[in-house]
Amino acid sequence: MTFTIVHLFPELLGTYGDRGNVEVVSWRLSQRQIENEVIAVGIGEKIPKSADLYFLGGGEDDAQIAAMEILARKNVMAKVLNSGGHVFAVCAGFQILGDTFPASGGRVISGLGLLPIETVSVTPRSVGEVLLKPTFSIEGEEFLTGFENHSGQTRFTDNLQPLGIVAKGIGNGLGAGVDGVVTPQVIGTYMHGPALVRNPGLADWVLERKLGRLEPLDASIFQHLHEERVRASR
Amino acid sequence: MRLRVIIFLANGLGWLSRATKRGSGVMLTGRMILKLEPRAAEILSRNRRVVLISGTNGKTTSTALIHAAISTSHKAVTNFTGANLFAGVATALSQSRSAPIAVLEVDEMVIPWAIAQTRPEVIVLLNLGRDQLDRLSEVRVVAQKWKDAVQNLPKKSLILADADDPFVVWAAKDWKHVIWFSSGSLGHIDASTCPECGEVLWWNDKGSDFSCTCGFARPKPDWVLSKGMLKGPKKQKIEVVSGIPGKAGISNAARAIVAASHFDIELEKSSQAVKKISSVDGRFGNIVIGQTKYRLMLSKNPASWRETLSTSKAGPDGVLLVVNANTQDGKDTSWLWDVDFSPLDGRIVIVSGDRRSDVSARLTVAGIEHAIAKDERSASIMFGSGNADLIASYTAFHRLAKLVKR
Repeated sequence: MTFTIVHLFPELLGTYGDRGNVEVVSWRLSQRQIENEVIAVGIGEKIPKSADLYFLGGGEDDAQIAAMEILARKNVMAKVLNSGGHVFAVCAGFQILGDTFPASGGRVISGLGLLPIETVSVTPRSVGEVLLKPTFSIEGEEFLTGFENHSGQTRFTDNLQPLGIVAKGIGNGLGAGVDGVVTPQVIGTYMHGPALVRNPGLADWVLERKLGRLEPLDASIFQHLHEERVRASR
Repeated sequence: MRLRVIIFLANGLGWLSRATKRGSGVMLTGRMILKLEPRAAEILSRNRRVVLISGTNGKTTSTALIHAAISTSHKAVTNFTGANLFAGVATALSQSRSAPIAVLEVDEMVIPWAIAQTRPEVIVLLNLGRDQLDRLSEVRVVAQKWKDAVQNLPKKSLILADADDPFVVWAAKDWKHVIWFSSGSLGHIDASTCPECGEVLWWNDKGSDFSCTCGFARPKPDWVLSKGMLKGPKKQKIEVVSGIPGKAGISNAARAIVAASHFDIELEKSSQAVKKISSVDGRFGNIVIGQTKYRLMLSKNPASWRETLSTSKAGPDGVLLVVNANTQDGKDTSWLWDVDFSPLDGRIVIVSGDRRSDVSARLTVAGIEHAIAKDERSASIMFGSGNADLIASYTAFHRLAKLVKR
């Protein structure tokens, strides 16, 4: 069986190197001889509903709204989740999965309503290195490292498990001291960098939720990068 | 205090800075001038014909080329060293006060101030793209700043604007006197939505044309550079030869010829002048470290990396990438994933700089074989004698550019 990865609207949601998350999970699968396919879905193209893993990245206001409108039109993401697909969403992509998010001129935009979260605009922007203590155990990774750059801050409106407790940076903000969200099918985060490049353990964890236990991979550069960034943030 | 005295004192301070090897003195001089006379740039621009040049990429090179072309017939001052903020502009204007023309490189965000102060006759808008998003603004914010600022230009001012860049088009299109220039650049990674209305922007397959249902569209260019030939609206025609390699080199040269033609410099004369420039402020300059002769190139954002990698492809086999993430480089390295590194495939690639691990991870996923070195000297041991390209991010470039013999 081919593991199918869908990269949603890279031209809209790809401001912060988001392609890296997609490429690195594909690479980690290929290195293990696990057949996989990456489908980059452009504006106006058909979105596969029964792929394994979907990626939503970061983007500016107009692009975020444009992406949201396309996804809202046919209830795509709800169908994806119903078919058992998993989602990894960063920054703007994380925000659109929730109930509301802000846009320029004080506008409040309705999101896809798939996560009980709402995002509000906060100045100054949250910019800089992020260090998290994950809320679950990841092999070989005591911390998660990323880089954040967002003006929106996000609150949970129901009980949710965050991705991690913030040791450095802002993350979801609004005083909660946490970043992102983890549900059985969705991971959201404000960490780009890209997060799955900087945290190889998290990348494998995301894949293992779908594929079961994977063989260890000999790719020391990613471990090295992970340790270097964690050290630099501490 | 009279401005003449202020400039004399400020130049003295700049000289002292150079003499004590603290820096070029340009910033110090300019800061002191503006401190003692905040209207200095405005006063020094009176009775002068001013050209402003701005954009994400190519500012320093374009400014040098335009200055060279205009200098064939007129005396002109300029900010040679790429000091393009308030102080750098003030220092440039304070030099040779008898020069009737000033050719000034201006940072994108300083354009509103520069327009108000210098009341330019010509403003050259090159391009706008993502650049160090952790400390600078997203592209749309800069475009809006430009759009507002150009409305304050003197009535007869002329904008020489790039017709291929949707953000430049959007910023300039409402001005009465625009000359549109096209060098056939394709696509734009930040312009998937319309700058005017936010809807998805339509691009043709090649990426050479764009339009939107709201009416926003690529304008018909007045000057077109195609296959090395520059053609103007009155059937003017000239072959453009650039001393600076690469596609951006030739398009900057062509644009400079157009800009200079506004000052009645014949195309042929400008063409001869720009052809002679092969290195600007260290860019494409040579340095020898260890046994290796490096050709130095600056890359600071995805658009400039794409350009540099394609130019370098025609160069030597060896290539060293030096990437830092200091404040001036941008502290976020995730842009590495917006760059297609495939032009490096098959070459001898070494990575260095503070963020070499990030680069190495990027190249690993792209399947590009490479080695890691702690600095240029260690890399040179691996390259051995011969030539290699050295592509560096901002702070590494400026450290190395000092070694280029002028």
